[in-house]
Amino acid sequence: MRLTREEEEMLAGKRGWPIQKSMEILVQLGEIYEAEKMIEVSHVHMPGSSVVVAGEAGTKFVEKMAGLGGKFCALTTLNTGALNFDAWEETGYPEKTYKLQRRLTDAYSSMGAVPCHTCTPYLIGNCPRRGEHLAWGESSAIAFANSVMGAYTNREGGPSALAAALTGRVPEYGYHLQENRYGHIEVTVNTKLETVDDFGGLGYWVGTIAGSKVPVFTGITQIGADEIKALGAALASSGAVALFHIVGVTPEAPTREAAFGGRKPEQALEFGTNELRDARQRLNKHQGQPVSLVCIGCPHTSISEIAQIAQGLAGKKLKSGVELWITTALPMRALAERCGYTKIIEEAGGRFVIDTCPILSPMAEVAKKKGYSAMATNSAKLAHYAPGQWALPTYYGSLRACLDSALSGSFDQREAR
Amino acid sequence: MEKKLHGRKVVGGKARGPALVTSEPICFLGGVDVNTGMITEVGHPLKGKCIAGKVLVFPTGKGSTGGSYLIFEAASNGVGPCAMINRNVEQVTAIGCIIAEIPMVDKLDSDPVAAIKDGDMVEVDADNGVVKVSPA
Repeated sequence: MRLTREEEEMLAGKRGWPIQKSMEILVQLGEIYEAEKMIEVSHVHMPGSSVVVAGEAGTKFVEKMAGLGGKFCALTTLNTGALNFDAWEETGYPEKTYKLQRRLTDAYSSMGAVPCHTCTPYLIGNCPRRGEHLAWGESSAIAFANSVMGAYTNREGGPSALAAALTGRVPEYGYHLQENRYGHIEVTVNTKLETVDDFGGLGYWVGTIAGSKVPVFTGITQIGADEIKALGAALASSGAVALFHIVGVTPEAPTREAAFGGRKPEQALEFGTNELRDARQRLNKHQGQPVSLVCIGCPHTSISEIAQIAQGLAGKKLKSGVELWITTALPMRALAERCGYTKIIEEAGGRFVIDTCPILSPMAEVAKKKGYSAMATNSAKLAHYAPGQWALPTYYGSLRACLDSALSGSFDQREAR
Repeated sequence: MEKKLHGRKVVGGKARGPALVTSEPICFLGGVDVNTGMITEVGHPLKGKCIAGKVLVFPTGKGSTGGSYLIFEAASNGVGPCAMINRNVEQVTAIGCIIAEIPMVDKLDSDPVAAIKDGDMVEVDADNGVVKVSPA
């Protein structure tokens, strides 16, 4: 790799150990992917912000960087953590997780990170512009930044995002280069998709086939911000998709030709009612158990999603013994409170859980402690991860079906086949 | 008959162990228990198998970017694979192997997922990109 004089100095240890170690990681990564040089990044979104991911080993590594004087030189937001700092005990999280998470969050914060602990930094102020180079982790946020904002980021893991935050650099390869941003697979959508779970089903089905390739969707004329967030999250769960295009919708796909860069697609897929049914079947993993936990907010809910939940719950009460979790970012909960949604949702028996989510928290312990029988969600990402992570039967369906199951304790089987 | 495959060094080092092979991508979040090394993803062909001390052979990574630290955590807990072989390494896995110092090679001259069978004894010399396979 060709390094600037400043980067050579970083590598030689003239700016201290944290920057030297960081540059070593980035150079090694650059060599693997044959990068010619480093580029500067303006934002970092930090994966490995939950101790469920970082563990003791990762936490010690981050603490060492902080202890030896590491300081972030790019705006750095923290991804979802392992618990809600304000109410972890009553939510059911263990104290040992709190102690370790406190250490990890403090170490990142002391280096200058914004401890927002959300997977949707783009909804709360870390909103990139088109063509900006980033070092983002969190697979769903990466898909959103690349595809919807038209920013440029690879799939950064914890250590490389940490290195990028400390040096302000990443090696220039992959999605930082225009030539790698064109589509590979054409997906013709020939059924009407409306809800978050429809688009989650599409993403889940396509992600399994696409792996790390770039899918291009045609036939989608209407898609809202919440649905596109769900689509990207699902694509990045069953696959390693970091970038997708929707012709006529996303910024790098004004036309089909532009999305493919004038090349022919390697593969063409059709997505219709049969494929949607297939995805729904694969995401439903249960034997008809009663629902005891309903989770909405994977990725973290937007204010419009919270509004829909409030509308669905106004004047109603959850069935006794059923919990409803709305996972979101701290600023979004503050806004919900000002809008009056919090009162409606809490009076119905629902609970806001900030800073964390079931996937990145020690949910197996909570599920065991509380004796959950099954979970319901409208998130394909959560439905994909939950059964492997905490062996809980899972229902997947619409927001309406999820809220209905919170009120009745059973999931509408027409939605859960 | 011992087979010799040639590939590209991703992370240097040498290791020897029995192969654990799958044609399905692996995600280390929700897919692997980093305290025991057991594969936990429902529907994964390797569900219930243990990666500890194995030469883990899989096409590529998928899913969560949390995977890098989870590979590091598994290795720190003594239940990590002794080496990894991919068709094409994905960044999250590559970073995990860098920080956990797990020898890793990819882009072999024949498809590792087909050329290496479960239980084969595999010697990985990642520095030279050489993989020696002795059938079980």
